[in-house]
Amino acid sequence: MKRIRIDKIIVDGSCRAEALVVDHKISFFGEVDPRTGRTVEGYYIGGKALIFPGTRGSTVGTYIIYGLKYYGHAPACMIVYDAEPILIAGAVLADIPLFMVRKEYEELVGHVKNEKQTIILHGHGEEVLMIEQGKTCCSGRNRWSRQD
Amino acid sequence: MYLTREQERILAGEEGWVKAKALKVIVRVGEALGADRLVKIRHAHVSGISYTNIGEPGLKFLEELASSGAETAVYTTSNPTCVDLTGESSLIDYSYLEQQLLVNKALEKMRVKPTYTCLPYMLRAPAPHEHLAWGESNAVAMANSFYGARTNREGGPIALLASITGYIYDAGLHKIEERTARVMIRFYDQLDDLTASLLGLWIGETVNNIPLLELTPRPSIHEIKLLLASAAATGSHALVVIRGVTPPRTYGEDIVDKISLRREDLLKNYRDYLWSGGDYDLAYIGCPHLSGAEMLRIMQSLEKWLWKTRGKMILSIPPIVSSVFARELEILKKKGIEVIVGTCPVVTRFKYKPGLVVTNSGKAFFYLRRLHKLDVYLASIEDIIGAKY
Repeated sequence: MKRIRIDKIIVDGSCRAEALVVDHKISFFGEVDPRTGRTVEGYYIGGKALIFPGTRGSTVGTYIIYGLKYYGHAPACMIVYDAEPILIAGAVLADIPLFMVRKEYEELVGHVKNEKQTIILHGHGEEVLMIEQGKTCCSGRNRWSRQD
Repeated sequence: MYLTREQERILAGEEGWVKAKALKVIVRVGEALGADRLVKIRHAHVSGISYTNIGEPGLKFLEELASSGAETAVYTTSNPTCVDLTGESSLIDYSYLEQQLLVNKALEKMRVKPTYTCLPYMLRAPAPHEHLAWGESNAVAMANSFYGARTNREGGPIALLASITGYIYDAGLHKIEERTARVMIRFYDQLDDLTASLLGLWIGETVNNIPLLELTPRPSIHEIKLLLASAAATGSHALVVIRGVTPPRTYGEDIVDKISLRREDLLKNYRDYLWSGGDYDLAYIGCPHLSGAEMLRIMQSLEKWLWKTRGKMILSIPPIVSSVFARELEILKKKGIEVIVGTCPVVTRFKYKPGLVVTNSGKAFFYLRRLHKLDVYLASIEDIIGAKY
């Protein structure tokens, strides 16, 4: 099992979910539909361990992240290189675990892209993300993905 | 981050879970920005309340906050919404009236003042060194640059959460050492509303550091308003130091670059975007919102030109101006000049897409082109109203 160091835990929580990489900074306002949980490219981010460089654009993004939770399409956790106030506020309000990964960000992204079906695991309070290949059990909330 | 006992108490939920959660957001964001403490704010200004911008998720969030008993801990004002409060606009779409009223209801339940204007400083002038949590880029630039108060450019949600807790993180422009001007810009021609907008647009596009402006002769607040709003639109300037205007000791100086600029340079640089006269479909004046004095000045010019305009003219003002100047509004209406209240074209949707638009505001120019994809040109109020035929 591979391990990736977290540089900063911004919102702590447990996570066990399939990894999804978005290669660019996300403007949640305009690029993510909170009612469907889909990005403009068509990715479904609900229940995923969403890996992306950070956010940009309108501060309405905070409401969209909150909206994802409200409509039941919140990511299981978010892993970013950079965390802006828009994203932090949204993650705290919606109780979505948010981790900043700096030194090993490229390594994490590379791994997810090269391997099939990467699962990200994080236990509340731990400084590392664990990575394994395969399917999550039960494709939804289970005792590992429950929010603390 | 160092927290006082009172802040610890709030975080522990002793004043309710909503306040605890709001403070948690402020603390987490502050930590990420490197703040080591929180500061007390005196005034919060909440932007991002237009339903056409925040949509259903924004409304749901505000409603949940309000129904959980959240209340502002400090004086809190609100930005324009997406509906015109006169209900008579020919341009502004009313389809979202009902939803906007729900947003307003939630805000008012939390004791946010129904000011609906981008001029919070007109309702309560900030004092030098005072900490604020303001959204709305033009207001933030005025607070820091004209009043010498301290605020970062906050998003709507953070400004509201700061208002509920009474605190904001001590980072960025809250710290005196982050308020150091690095680029000196000298402009020695008389500024009018057009050149103020152009200078603002130019600063926003070209200068990355905090600028120090030397303007002779000293401009009035009317020009400064347009200049700062434009600079905050094209750049993300939250502080533009203006020598002789920005209160002393509210900023530092460490000049690494000096630029001199003339009126001709600005006119040349933006020549493709200057109105060349003739008819227009829409003339828009009031971004940022007009003060009472500004509205009266426009009325005088209109009167001088016998109220003849070259197309439809729309002015936008805060609700407070509309209540004080009700008689003037009647005259404007009779003369065919439309006045919209508590909204602005930047944060709303239109009933139709106007053709050629002229404005004296660099900020309106920038956003109407970008957000509404309109064909917008710049001109001074005097030229829009009369002289150019």
